[in-house]
Amino acid sequence: MASRRWLTAGALVVTSCLALAGCGGDSGSDGTTTITFWDDNGGPARTPVWEHIIDEFERDNPDIKVKYVGIPIAQAQQKYDTAIAGDGLPDVGGVSTAMLANLVARQALEPMDERIANSSLDGKLSEQVVESVRATVPDEKLYFVPMSTNMGVFWYRADWFAEADISPPASWDEFYAAVEKLTDTGNNRYGYTIRGGAGSISQLLEVLYGQSGIDEMFDSSGRSTVNDPRNVAALEKIAGLYRKYTPEADVTNDYVKMVAQFDGGNIGIMQHNLGSYTDHVKTLGEDKVGAMFVPPAENGSRTVTSHPVSGLGVFASGEQKDAAFRFAEFAAGKEMNGHWAAETGVLPANTEAADLEGLAHITEATSVLNDPETRLVQLPYYLPEFNAITKTDAEPLFQKVLLGEMSAKEFLDQMADKLTDAQAGYEQRNGG
Amino acid sequence: MAVGEVGTRPRERVRGRGSRTPYLLIAPAVLAMLAFLVYPMASVVYYSLQHYNISKPWENGFAGLDNFTRMLTADPLFWQSLGFTARWVLVEVSLQLVLGLALALIVNETFVGRAAARAMVFSPWAVSGVLTTGIWVLLYNPTTGLSRYLADLGLMDYGAAPLANPDTVFAAAVLAELWRGVPFFAILLLADLQSIPRDLYEAASVDGASRVRRFYHVTLPHLKDAIILSTLLRAVWEFNNVDLLYTLTGGGPAHQTTTLPLYVASTAVQSQEFGYGSALTTAGFLILTFFSVAYLRLSKFGART
Amino acid sequence: MSTDLSTLPPADPAARPAPDQPAPARPNRALRVARWQIYLPLGLYLLFTLVPFYWMLVFAVRPRGSTSLLPWPVSLENFETVWNGLGFGVFFANSLKVGVAALVSTTMIALAGGYALARYRFRGRTAFMVAMLCTQFIPGAMMLIPLFEVFRSLDLVNSLWSLVIAETVFQLPLSLILLSGFIRNVPVELEEAAWVDGCSRLRGFLVVVLPMLRPALVAVGSFAFIHSWNNFLFALMFVSEQEKYTIPVGLAFTLGEFSVDFGALAAGGVVAAVPVVLVFAIVQRYLVQGLSAGAVKG
Repeated sequence: MASRRWLTAGALVVTSCLALAGCGGDSGSDGTTTITFWDDNGGPARTPVWEHIIDEFERDNPDIKVKYVGIPIAQAQQKYDTAIAGDGLPDVGGVSTAMLANLVARQALEPMDERIANSSLDGKLSEQVVESVRATVPDEKLYFVPMSTNMGVFWYRADWFAEADISPPASWDEFYAAVEKLTDTGNNRYGYTIRGGAGSISQLLEVLYGQSGIDEMFDSSGRSTVNDPRNVAALEKIAGLYRKYTPEADVTNDYVKMVAQFDGGNIGIMQHNLGSYTDHVKTLGEDKVGAMFVPPAENGSRTVTSHPVSGLGVFASGEQKDAAFRFAEFAAGKEMNGHWAAETGVLPANTEAADLEGLAHITEATSVLNDPETRLVQLPYYLPEFNAITKTDAEPLFQKVLLGEMSAKEFLDQMADKLTDAQAGYEQRNGG
Repeated sequence: MAVGEVGTRPRERVRGRGSRTPYLLIAPAVLAMLAFLVYPMASVVYYSLQHYNISKPWENGFAGLDNFTRMLTADPLFWQSLGFTARWVLVEVSLQLVLGLALALIVNETFVGRAAARAMVFSPWAVSGVLTTGIWVLLYNPTTGLSRYLADLGLMDYGAAPLANPDTVFAAAVLAELWRGVPFFAILLLADLQSIPRDLYEAASVDGASRVRRFYHVTLPHLKDAIILSTLLRAVWEFNNVDLLYTLTGGGPAHQTTTLPLYVASTAVQSQEFGYGSALTTAGFLILTFFSVAYLRLSKFGART
Repeated sequence: MSTDLSTLPPADPAARPAPDQPAPARPNRALRVARWQIYLPLGLYLLFTLVPFYWMLVFAVRPRGSTSLLPWPVSLENFETVWNGLGFGVFFANSLKVGVAALVSTTMIALAGGYALARYRFRGRTAFMVAMLCTQFIPGAMMLIPLFEVFRSLDLVNSLWSLVIAETVFQLPLSLILLSGFIRNVPVELEEAAWVDGCSRLRGFLVVVLPMLRPALVAVGSFAFIHSWNNFLFALMFVSEQEKYTIPVGLAFTLGEFSVDFGALAAGGVVAAVPVVLVFAIVQRYLVQGLSAGAVKG
């Protein structure tokens, strides 16, 4: 009867587990308010930073408890979409301008203008950052409390540069020369890596506009400048590096695979943004990683593309909006914002936090951004089609360009047409 | 078929016609489906007839058959992804079946170390999708993967990237999915092999039947139903499998590994064209229904020999 | 058990050898396969199976920044990260609860339905089977939002029960159809004989059919458990509480933009895979009928 016994034992285990699985439910009848906070980029890098902020907040506000919920960044948008449709949003959550147009179109977020004006944050947030959040939505309200912005960076192997006895490139010509010089395919060393997989286009736009020096996404007649001949030439140059000075793997490289290569020690220069600083330093060591910014274009001006601003949004469906805002206010305050910036390597939105002793590359990034010679190309995150155009449609086509199956011009023409159409639709709807 | 016929017998009896018992027995399953799946399935069909894009609410509304017209007449990607899906399903399922059957037969023999071998052979089945793809990303990566270490030993050149090369990406993805999929068949077929009475083999070998003959006349006929069902279910599963290709290749390079559901995901989730994504899903549903019914008919599933 | 059954008349005496003849303890020589025909393909296949596991192990135990391919010296920092930093202990317990509950509910419901399909002809039988199949034709991702609404209306969002239910309804068709096939393989005459002996139908099923289904139950049950153990999308979407996440969600945390940690992924993978592989290593014994079951065959 061995099988019988086996079944009985199984049944017992099961019953006890079922008993365990019964859900507890929230018990908070002691006068404290509990708010739920979704971190849209949960993981070993950022979860501990939030835990620290929450601890500090709860110490300052003993009547509020914050429940932390991490969400893997790759699924953050889907999670919000599902929650909006199913009425399951949290009180407060991490949002960025990249997903803002969407959330606002569905009236998921509470405008923050008045609350900020009446709070300790009034006048403390960087004008530039606030403006770019407002520019993302048609009604130009501030739909979240901005905490940080980001900037494109070329991470490079300081030790390789020292070995080759060259200094970090100060112009695009030097950039291409360095890429060539650092490449030694026989020893599995590549000067550069191109992001060819998911997320490729925003990084591509940065090197195109950085080389061409064009500083507007749309010209005065509303036509996209993406396929300007100068951008086409820039794309041909950068795509020409593929497989010669960059790994073959690049064509399907998303962030994860790109970092596996850089942190694995085979890449001289990798383009990404400030946010990945801790990743590289943890793996390669501080002395081996350097940061440089987009070199100036031939016309002499340094042109950088805008990066999404992130921050905390208070959701309209929440019942604890005051507490939720207090948390957002606290997190964007001088001290916590400074802590956040230092730990994650991004640029704080709170101008007072920027004065805090930060990391060298943050100080440098801030000075580059504030340099009057620097031109900022605003990516049109306000277009509802922006994701579809730059991800779903353009990413596979860019792969075709890399593989030599499509010309640079044809690819940029297609993208430009779609952007122009989307822009025209936007202006028509919003009386532009 | 002298030997095969020995094993056949009436497998079911017509009993209790009109009795309530069978309905009571299927009631839990039916209720679970009704309660939890009818509404979601119906909603997919509903949205397939709508223009529904959450980021462009002003365009939402009844679409009639617009989505389907667009799909059939103006969307080369639909056809391309469908073609790739067919190829993917066919190659995966047939390789998984053949290898799984071979493995099941091997670990069904008596030999030293059998228990350990079985445990190891089945183990990839226990590994989650997120992890499977994570490991294979590392394995295929020219910096962290097999090719790098082979090159370190001087056995090949640096830089081989199976997932980036249009000539190898299909084989590379197939291999990764086989790793996880073969044990499914092996486990199932091994379980089914247990119900073959050993005497049948004994009798056949006394008759002088070769091992190959025994396989064709005893084993295979016995496994027939299980094979039909498992290949069908597995085909459906592979058809709708998104996670592996999504992480390994993202459907690339240049759409070369984009299956229909992967295309649906990028349409409905990334571009938020939920209406069109639903239409694509509905098309997949109809295709699968058609092929499943045809497959069950043609294979004479459950027919007594 | 075999004592009960040895009294049963053989099902089909003309077609099959007498059941009371004991099965030979060893297969006879003609059935033996040459050793190399076993070890060679098995060895090759094991290589294919084990290389990815080896990679996982190496990445799990080597320190960050190392590129060595030897799992030595062992560093436990990655395990530290996933267990303490990410809270894999909690994820693990949740996965276990959901997996076991899904296993039980799926197997129970599937056993009943599978028995009906295998043993009865009834009106709507074919329709039922087709309907079961149809539920598999739509990817879970497309049903996410409506399913979320259903759970919301039942107040099951944020409860592990939502995962148990979702797993069960998605696994049910596979389990039910597979089990019906296995039940069909059990000779109906054995059951009939039990009824003749005065057993109720339920008792006949429990005493005669169930023991013979052991390999099938192990296969189908393990499918249900492992599927649930590994499900990512539902676990992430229906639950919004850190303390209720399951292991696949935890694994996904290790591969985000701004935080790629292959070491943590691999360590989390070891934590997730080792117990399952071990349990399965024990349970797989039951996939193969022992000698006693061999004697029971019809």
